[in-house]
Amino acid sequence: MSKRFKIVVSVVITAMMVLGTVGCGQSRKSAKEFSPKYSKDTEYKLSVVGTYSNFESLESAFERFYAHYPKGEIEYTYLDDYRNTIGQALAGQEPPDIYVVQPWMYGDEQYAPLFEGAEVLSDPKLEIDLDCIRSGVRWEPDNGEVLALPVFATSYGMLVNRDIFDKEKLEVPKTFEELKETCEKLKAAGYDSPVMGANTTTTPGIGYAFAYPMFAKTVKDDKTKEADLNNLVPSAGEAMRDSLSRLKEFVDCGCIDVKKCTAEIEDDYNAVIMRFFEGDVPMMLCSGDVVSGTKKRESKSEAFSANPFKYDFYVAPSGDEGGYYMDSVSLLFSVNKNSESLDMTNEFIRFLTSEKELGLMAEEKRLITPAKDYSLDEVYASLSGFPEDRVISFSDTEILDTAVKQFRAAAYSVVNGEMTVDEAVAGYGTIPVD
Amino acid sequence: MKKRYIIIINILIVGLILFIIVKYANDRAGESNRASIASFEKMTTTTEQIIANYLEDEQHLCDIWSNYINRSAEAGTPMTVDEAISYIRKAKISPEISGHLIYIDDGSMKGISTSASNTDPSDYSVNYSHIQIFENLEISNVNGVVNLTRAYTNPLNGVQSIAFLNNVKVLDSETGAMRDGLIIRVVPVSRLEQKLVFLKGEYENVEISLIDWDGDYMIHGKSLKNSNFFEYFKSYNPMSTQEFNKVVDTIRTDIGSMHIRNSKKEDCVIAYTPLSGLESWFLVAYIPASELTMSRSIDWFLLGIVSVGLMILLHFNLFILLKFNRELAVAAEAAKQANEAKSHFLSTMSHDIRTPMNAIIGMNEMILRDSRDEEILMYSESIRTAGNTLLGIINDILDFSKIEAGKMEIIGVDYNFVSLLNDLVNMVQRRAEEKGLNFELEVDRNIPRILHGDEIRIKQVITNILSNAVKYTKEGSVIFSITGSRCEDNDDYVVLHVSVKDTGIGIKEEDLDKLFVAFERIEEKRNRNIEGTGLGMVIAQSFLNLMGSKIQVESEYGKGSVFSFDLKQKVVKWEPLGEFDIAFKRFLSERKRYKVQFVAPKARILVVDDTEVNLKVFVSLLGKTEMQIETADSGDAGIALFKRNFYNVIFLDHMMPDKDGIETIKEMKECKDTPNQKTPIICLTANAVSGMREMYINAGFDDYLTKPIDTGRLESMLLMYLPPDLVVRTEDVTEEEKKIEIMHSILVVDDDINILRQVKEWLSDRYKVVVVKSEEQALAYLEKHEADLILMDDDMPGQSRFDTAKLIRGHFKEISRDELVLQVNKFFHD
Repeated sequence: MSKRFKIVVSVVITAMMVLGTVGCGQSRKSAKEFSPKYSKDTEYKLSVVGTYSNFESLESAFERFYAHYPKGEIEYTYLDDYRNTIGQALAGQEPPDIYVVQPWMYGDEQYAPLFEGAEVLSDPKLEIDLDCIRSGVRWEPDNGEVLALPVFATSYGMLVNRDIFDKEKLEVPKTFEELKETCEKLKAAGYDSPVMGANTTTTPGIGYAFAYPMFAKTVKDDKTKEADLNNLVPSAGEAMRDSLSRLKEFVDCGCIDVKKCTAEIEDDYNAVIMRFFEGDVPMMLCSGDVVSGTKKRESKSEAFSANPFKYDFYVAPSGDEGGYYMDSVSLLFSVNKNSESLDMTNEFIRFLTSEKELGLMAEEKRLITPAKDYSLDEVYASLSGFPEDRVISFSDTEILDTAVKQFRAAAYSVVNGEMTVDEAVAGYGTIPVD
Repeated sequence: MKKRYIIIINILIVGLILFIIVKYANDRAGESNRASIASFEKMTTTTEQIIANYLEDEQHLCDIWSNYINRSAEAGTPMTVDEAISYIRKAKISPEISGHLIYIDDGSMKGISTSASNTDPSDYSVNYSHIQIFENLEISNVNGVVNLTRAYTNPLNGVQSIAFLNNVKVLDSETGAMRDGLIIRVVPVSRLEQKLVFLKGEYENVEISLIDWDGDYMIHGKSLKNSNFFEYFKSYNPMSTQEFNKVVDTIRTDIGSMHIRNSKKEDCVIAYTPLSGLESWFLVAYIPASELTMSRSIDWFLLGIVSVGLMILLHFNLFILLKFNRELAVAAEAAKQANEAKSHFLSTMSHDIRTPMNAIIGMNEMILRDSRDEEILMYSESIRTAGNTLLGIINDILDFSKIEAGKMEIIGVDYNFVSLLNDLVNMVQRRAEEKGLNFELEVDRNIPRILHGDEIRIKQVITNILSNAVKYTKEGSVIFSITGSRCEDNDDYVVLHVSVKDTGIGIKEEDLDKLFVAFERIEEKRNRNIEGTGLGMVIAQSFLNLMGSKIQVESEYGKGSVFSFDLKQKVVKWEPLGEFDIAFKRFLSERKRYKVQFVAPKARILVVDDTEVNLKVFVSLLGKTEMQIETADSGDAGIALFKRNFYNVIFLDHMMPDKDGIETIKEMKECKDTPNQKTPIICLTANAVSGMREMYINAGFDDYLTKPIDTGRLESMLLMYLPPDLVVRTEDVTEEEKKIEIMHSILVVDDDINILRQVKEWLSDRYKVVVVKSEEQALAYLEKHEADLILMDDDMPGQSRFDTAKLIRGHFKEISRDELVLQVNKFFHD
């Protein structure tokens, strides 16, 4: 075979491979684009009910959906006292087509109708692309049927005022040691409480945001403790020791002035954001849900409007090797399988279940997207590429709400000096909660 | 008017018409929009009335419930909670509406309902402790007015509802105590929404929202994202906090409408009004602006037709215009050709007449010089006079053609008024004397000496008037008077009053109008023996018009006329003229016969002309200068001599067959192998039409001289261009100048020929004056001659090579005659 012939054959084969690859890419890309199943003239009226009093990001998704199906209307309604009224609404004359569920509702008898009446979204006939959801936040109960679509993910950590770090020429700490050193420098620079947060027992509170991811990592690493923790077996409290000890050390080393936090931050949401926007707090412990409120409040803060600064969300550096990233589900949608417009409801969910739509919604709401591609929102840029071994996903643990409440109460007591770590560990299962 | 201006004006008119139509249509549309919006606002207030009435009715029904229960209590037979609910259950008609009765005195916010729970048909209990709808209401003291909650979720059926409230007193069946309760009439929001269905017929996309004081919705229009109207507004309508607060205040307090942007940045209209009877509820009607403006009353069809019609009209006009333009262009071309033909004719006529005239006048000049026979001299003098008259006629025709063509321009220069008068008097005096007329001169001695204006044209005007006075006066006198007075409105100017009075034939009154008509001669028959074209006064009047003046005529037929005009001239020097009469009389006494100005035996001259007789005239006129003059009868012959021999000055005729003067000089200039590379070449031309001078200078000539040749000008020109060392002034050898020889000699050095000429004129009557153009020429002159005084212009470089004791430097361009004479006299006196 002549050399020239070999060259020609090689070129042809290479070209075919390149074209084939490009062609595959195109077909894959086109598969990701939403393609309406039904006629554009389909008339419909859908209702979505939920826990957010304001859900503009979803309303924006409605408008994008209208581009495909203009002859319809989707309405979002906030239900007062959602825990008690969602059941009534589903059983009523005008049941919602889509409703919000949360993981803790699963297994609770009161909310059983929410799941019994939910459409199985993993049904292949529905052609919903659930693969675009990160496996960690995909909610697949034991039977493998997917009854709810994660819409937002959340996490726990801290808001960091990047301008202060730039001004003081400091790096955002990644480990607990670095945190202590950074706090020393910040205190020397005049920041009395380098870290602040809401002194509450709630999830955005100081104890939970800082220490719970570490506790969850402990449980993830030793799943045998999970059952006892959920059953509130006192001895299971030992699982809290490391995280509570680190929390105590964090408070004792002066990184945070708890009294100042109590005095200056009245609640775990609005006050946290507005205090952070004052511009003199280098690090503010909080949850992702708190971060979601920042965008709207930037213009409401006179201090921030006068002196805006750059800020990002970081995982709290509680571990020796680094912080722990809780990849939690914040909100899920279930479809009422008894919906009068079930086809169009499923069509809307199919539309919503894409990296693009979930990403856009998360970006607008400033929460973390459940899709594989992280939101373009640069506030969460630090989470991209977070080391897998320190990620605790929603599906990694099954700590029940009661156990979580015990940890929150324990953490609050330790932070406020009401209990020693030993007392908190020993008192597991009997620590008073709200 | 140029074509493009006409097109632009047409387009502007069409544009203006369309603009007016569009503006009118827009104004109409604006009115229509305002009417639509007003109608929309009216609909909003109507809707508000419907809703307010409905809410009032519902509240009234709630009040009936509470009144019944409370009256029982007042009557001493208070109802228990169960009895009260039982009553309400019976009293209410609609199954959609339910009644809740909760205890408020212990803060539990719990009670019972007329309807059972959706999830448990046996459960009638109701709990409002987790539903935050009473924050802004004084629920312990509800009194009379509509007491309405925001839209909330009915805890028993999950339906979005509104609640009407009133206080009741009920008996606690367990404790027997009287309790404070709150009766709640729960109405689904959808029931209220049904009241608004009628709007869809009128406005397809209208959305009605009811908001509370904070902007939270009771009824939520689907296009209004966000759970709060004010937040929604702020999100998509960026503005300052102050402006935002103003908008919020307006919505809360006023009835009206405004344009807003929705989440898609589309223009929308909201109309707002407070709900009457309720303290802090507001109705907001939202509609896309496009729906309100859809009924715009612009008749686009009519507009289109008008536009097309105007465009057709415009194109038709342009077509007609172009057609006329083409015809005009043809006519213009014909006129242009005729004009060119006329110019050509004038040029040819000028040339063809001047050429033989050159021979006539030139040869006659020779007779005048050489003849001593008085009778021949008399004949010859007549030939000279007739020749000059003929030349004047030709010049008048040329000037008139220039005026007609609009090419005549007034060119202002600084001039000496004495010189101007000299020339005028010199010219007229002789003619007057020849006719035996008494010529009187009256010149105001205070007229400034140096003025700024077109000296040549002024001279021409006065010459024409004076010539006429002399021509038409048989006996008596011609009085030429000039006075001057400072211009009243401008101190830098003087007004010259020029007047020529004669005792001539006079002009009839009816003929005065003909005076300034071209080619029109008054009393042609009577005056046919008087030469003239009938152009003189026309030209004079035209020149004066160009200079902002006008000839005034006063005449008495048979007795004489007075021609006068006032002329405004800028004054350069206010130095008064002085006694002109004296100077003039001296000038008259010094007037003498021709004598050659110089001899230059070593000077070599070449003259090229195709007309043999002209060559002969040229050579004869310069015969007494003793110069070596060679002649050539064609361009080629001239070029051959040019290449071979050296000449100090070359005279070249313009109009020659085969190779004309322009072509000849071009070839001469291109020639490198010649001793005459720096030799000045002067054009000899019989062509005196406008623009010739520029043409000759541009062609490469150093100067030009018109035919018939004026000997004086020719000799002066030669004195200008000949090297001074070759020239010997004839004063040296004449008898008369033996006296001048003992006079002082002055060497004048300046590169400006005009100044040299002027200085020479001023000083020549008292001193021997030699002028040179450069320092080198001066030094060359001084090698062979003596000079008692050297006058050198300040602008000339160098002075070290002259004897400074004999040197006076000055700026001769700005110096007056008297100043210079005084300075020179002083030098020699001292």
